Amino acid sequence: MKLKDVLSPLRVWERAAKKPMTIKDPINDRPGAVNYRGFHKNDFSKCIGCGSCEEICQNDAIDLVPVEGQETVEGDSGLRPMIDYGRCCWCALCVDVCPTGALTMSNEYTWIADNPEDYRFVPGADKTAWQDSEKGYTRSPDIQILDYERVDMQELEPEERDKSFIEIVKGYNKEQAMKEAERCLECGLCIATCPAHMDIPGYIAAIRDDDIDNALRILYETNPMPEICGRICTHKCETVCALHNNGDPLAIRWLKRYIVDQVPADKYSEILGTDHLEDEVLNRKVAIIGAGPAGLSAAYYLAIMGYKTKVYEALPDPGGMVRYGIPEYRLPYDQIDKDIDYIRSLGVEIQFNTRVGTDITLEELHGSYDAVFAGTGLHLGRSTRVPGADNKRVYFATDLLREVTLGNEIDVAENIVVIGGGNVAMDITRTLARLQNLKYGKVQVLATCLEAEDIMPADVEEVVEAREENAVIDPGWGPKEIEIRDGKVYGLHVVKCLSVFDENGRFSPKFDEDQKKFFKADMVVESIGQGMDLSYLSEGIKSDLKFSPRGRIEVDDSFQSSLQWLFVGGDIIQGPDVIHGIANGYIAAKGIDTYLNKK
Amino acid sequence: MSNLSESKYRGYEADRSKYPRMENGKPVIDLESHMYTKLWQGPQHPGVTGNMAVELIVNGDEIVDAKTHMGYLHRAFEKLMERRRYIQCFPLVCRICVPEPDTNEYCVSAAMEDLAGIQVPERALWLRTLNLEMSRIGSYLMWLGGQAGSLGMGAIGQWTIGMRDFWLDLFEEMTGGRVYHMYMIPGGVRKTLPEGFRDRARELIVTTRKLLYDVENTFLSNAIIKSRLQGLGVISPEMVDEYGIVGPNARASGMEHDIRINNPYVKYGELDVKMLTSTVGDAYARAELRYRDLHQSLDLVTEILNRIPQDGPIQADMPNLLNWKIPAGQTYVKAESTRGEHGFYMVSDGSDKPRRVFARGASYTHAISVLEELAVNISISDLAGLMVSLHTCPPEIER
Amino acid sequence: MEQLVKRINGMIHLKAYNRQRDDLFFITVEKSQLELVLSHLKNNEGFTHLAFLQAVDFLEDSKFQLTYMLYNYDIRVNLGVKVLIARDKAEMTSIHKLWAHAWQYQRELHELFGINFPGSPRVEESFVLEGWEEMPPMRRDFDTKEYSERTFYQRPGRSTNDPKEYMKEKMYKNYAASPRIRRDDE
Ligand SMILES: Cc1cc2nc3c(=O)[nH]c(=O)nc-3n(C[C@H](O)[C@H](O)[C@H](O)COP(=O)(O)OP(=O)(O)OC[C@H]3O[C@@H](n4cnc5c(N)ncnc54)[C@H](O)[C@@H]3O)c2cc1C
Ligand code: SF4
Ligand code: SF4
Repeated sequence: MKLKDVLSPLRVWERAAKKPMTIKDPINDRPGAVNYRGFHKNDFSKCIGCGSCEEICQNDAIDLVPVEGQETVEGDSGLRPMIDYGRCCWCALCVDVCPTGALTMSNEYTWIADNPEDYRFVPGADKTAWQDSEKGYTRSPDIQILDYERVDMQELEPEERDKSFIEIVKGYNKEQAMKEAERCLECGLCIATCPAHMDIPGYIAAIRDDDIDNALRILYETNPMPEICGRICTHKCETVCALHNNGDPLAIRWLKRYIVDQVPADKYSEILGTDHLEDEVLNRKVAIIGAGPAGLSAAYYLAIMGYKTKVYEALPDPGGMVRYGIPEYRLPYDQIDKDIDYIRSLGVEIQFNTRVGTDITLEELHGSYDAVFAGTGLHLGRSTRVPGADNKRVYFATDLLREVTLGNEIDVAENIVVIGGGNVAMDITRTLARLQNLKYGKVQVLATCLEAEDIMPADVEEVVEAREENAVIDPGWGPKEIEIRDGKVYGLHVVKCLSVFDENGRFSPKFDEDQKKFFKADMVVESIGQGMDLSYLSEGIKSDLKFSPRGRIEVDDSFQSSLQWLFVGGDIIQGPDVIHGIANGYIAAKGIDTYLNKK
Repeated sequence: MSNLSESKYRGYEADRSKYPRMENGKPVIDLESHMYTKLWQGPQHPGVTGNMAVELIVNGDEIVDAKTHMGYLHRAFEKLMERRRYIQCFPLVCRICVPEPDTNEYCVSAAMEDLAGIQVPERALWLRTLNLEMSRIGSYLMWLGGQAGSLGMGAIGQWTIGMRDFWLDLFEEMTGGRVYHMYMIPGGVRKTLPEGFRDRARELIVTTRKLLYDVENTFLSNAIIKSRLQGLGVISPEMVDEYGIVGPNARASGMEHDIRINNPYVKYGELDVKMLTSTVGDAYARAELRYRDLHQSLDLVTEILNRIPQDGPIQADMPNLLNWKIPAGQTYVKAESTRGEHGFYMVSDGSDKPRRVFARGASYTHAISVLEELAVNISISDLAGLMVSLHTCPPEIER
Repeated sequence: MEQLVKRINGMIHLKAYNRQRDDLFFITVEKSQLELVLSHLKNNEGFTHLAFLQAVDFLEDSKFQLTYMLYNYDIRVNLGVKVLIARDKAEMTSIHKLWAHAWQYQRELHELFGINFPGSPRVEESFVLEGWEEMPPMRRDFDTKEYSERTFYQRPGRSTNDPKEYMKEKMYKNYAASPRIRRDDE
């Protein structure tokens, strides 16, 4: 034993005279760190009730519960997380996963209550002392639990596409689709927003499992035109995708397209189980007016339920506006055919070049069929009615687009102005740009509209791509007059548009007449909306039908009009877009089935 | 205990007269003979490390047979992980070890990253290194207190646990949690360093060294401590491999092995980690080695703080972790905890949940095979000191 | 490593070999040759450290995989030796003579997987589960959730909602279900 070792412990007495290292009153002197993972906070204005927090919690500490004052609306289930602090382990995975950033934590960790049930509450709803505290754990912007970045879609370069009508979007390959499908949270918020309430998470999960057959079956449950929708759907579902709160929404539309692109047409009936359809079991016949999405969707569901259906179509080919409106570079005709041929293969007969009202009357149809569905769409152009708009070189967009589809030559001018700022205007602008390019080798088409750039109704991509294709988009102008010289169009005079809607949101444009502009043109196209042509309704039928004050036929929940045998849907009732037409046709088919079963 | 009875390492081979007779490799203990008493140390006992029990057969004060009993703490983490998605395993594993949870976090994340082929960004690697080294400090401080306390010096335990709490303060700032940090998420880490962190850490290093100076004086150079620890629980170099002994327990017996040096992970390859060894192999040598290693950790933290990049990503580009499937494969990832080799063996079957996760902790052998071996022939009063000197931690045994 | 593999292959039949990292390799050997391989690796190849011995349940193949994780201090490499054994009446040769701590793992595997290691000391003694009466719990077919639901009680009053179903109920309850396809072979 060394003496040193006996003495050295005594050294510690030195400490007695020194300042202690410890803190006197830790709770007060040192509250939880700024970053502390304490009791949760939830910002209800951000939370969308997606349930990702519940999904990730490995302790099963979270329940999604309805909360007073929270409505269930599109994009928000109205449910809110309730946390059981008997289970929570304070891992904050729920905070990190929360796509809206609503869920955070406070730095509060001491709390005493008599009742154990108090430790189970809905942060944000039940008042807590820390709900408004600034401190506590939040998701770091530097990390991701979810994948907020969309898999890039390959597209044709502007130089490749501006002279042709080849499809621009190339579609996902398997690897890309699987990767994109992996991003899905499966919260299902999108289903409520999809007009056809398709089981979106369901078919995306099937993509992940590489079970394309099942994916196709899910698609056809409520949508018999997935090739079409997979390309041009207005994809409202994507706007409510939970991921959209912090990044790119899931490419739901492209994934749908991926599924159908994988399945060859001749496999459909086998996969979907329509290879042995019962023939005319029901011995009931339904006539359908218009081979657009609404009419064909009704026909499909009637056919698989065993009804004999016949479609009357004024034009020589099926598809309605999908074929005669939407340009080929967005939706190739063979893809339209793929969807529609399958519907026709189930025994749906289409009689082309037959306009109801002129070639055959509605009364006649009523006489020979048990029920009639009308989905005749919006095919009449609307005019600005400015001076000069009646010139023969002033066209409606839809008329021109129809001519292009029909294969008829259009007398494309060198200098064209399009009036309109919606997607249809972009379609015609870009179509004309291509035609000009083919004819003159250069593009001189300009589109103008009332709305300023930031409130243009067209999709941003459409505007961007139109510009890439050398079209000029000059928004924010109101058309004044189409100048005619010697009977020929000379150009368009416009004045600055200051605002489009009044305080109540009603259409009431205001102009600054002093700010003028002139667009030189020898051809003008109007694309400011379409109207419906209901001339096939005879006076007798009209007087029996109920109309809304704005001139629409009134229908009930199953799209049945006040004439029990007449069902109506599609653009003339709701929309206008393809998916509403499809949904209308689907419900109407079920409605017709109910109606005929009762009869 | 056939293997043990044949053991060449037992100190009592010479005079067996007072030890139980061996039959078929098992000691025959006739409690009726009044020669022996059965005594349970634990599961609740201030002298055991955590929740475990040692069933002792004593003759007077002397232990003649020892048997470790587990099962007071089993939480089935490994099984639970098989039923959880990969990301959901992340909050589970830290709970395997209270004093040093971060090694588990590192290993489980690194195993997933290895199987999934993910490269963790530079800055995150540095932050992980900092986290791991800080957790070693926290663990050693706790051990120091335990070692002193087990020999009756409770005050030192209070000092070091108090100091550990200051380190936990730093953890709290850095990670949001004091004990369970849940910091190393698959692909990287969760947070960058908060403002002023470096300065506060540097200050704390200085304070910690002041405390260590006191501890050295009162504990390591203390005649009583020396007399109790020297010669206690000698691990011979031959035993090291035979018993799978790792970490400071092995290094104090001359084994030159430290995973930070020999199989460097995170950023240890770029740091100057020194191989600390001793040849004595007794409890005092281990204590002294740990004390030096603690100082080395303080040095390393200082260096890491100087070298952590100030910017750059802290997480690799990850897929949606709710749907994360890891390609089928098997891997073993290990790290040097304060107790030695700590590793995770992970088997993936290509699904979104692990097929099997096994957490290999150093105490697995230290607290059973080695302890049962070394406990024989010592006094009851030394058992606690011996256990702590092996730095045993029962949660590593029952995961 | 390649050479080592060659040497072992000369000795016995190697079923598989793969490199996971520069410092981690796996080989798969026949059950009957395991002891031979391990003692060779330990005594002649410098793989003196047994880090662990563990099992993986491949229920669908009716196999257990045993993994013996070795380490060589000189070349600083981990080598996992894998053996597949039948899951039914699972049994394996004990290696307690090779490493003094191996019995511990064998005892654990006996309890948690139901794999027997005849001759291994204390192998029948319970390890962490005194009084356990269910099947060995680490087997894949042991249903943890079912067990805990049977054994413990849930906090009363908890219920949750699926946002998808809840929104349907609230917003489009009347949206018709997809029609049944009428087939003539039904
Ligand atoms: C240029 C353009 C681009 C568009 N882009 C998109 C888009 O990207 N995404 C999207 O979702 N929607 C788009 N739409 C809208 C979409 O095309 C329509 O909403 C959809 O086609 C409406 O379907 P429907 O069945 O109601 O009517 P339509 O598709 O218009 O079909 C009606 C059919 O009825 C026929 N018909 C009309 N009257 C009679 C009669 N008396 N007798 C016999 N047949 C008759 C018509 O010839 C036509 O075939 C676009 C529309 C246009 C014009
Ligand atoms: S993850 Fe966020 S947005 Fe979704 S329910 Fe939970 S708190 Fe609300
Ligand atoms: S902090 Fe972790 S344990 Fe607690 S509710 Fe959130 S996810 Fe669940």
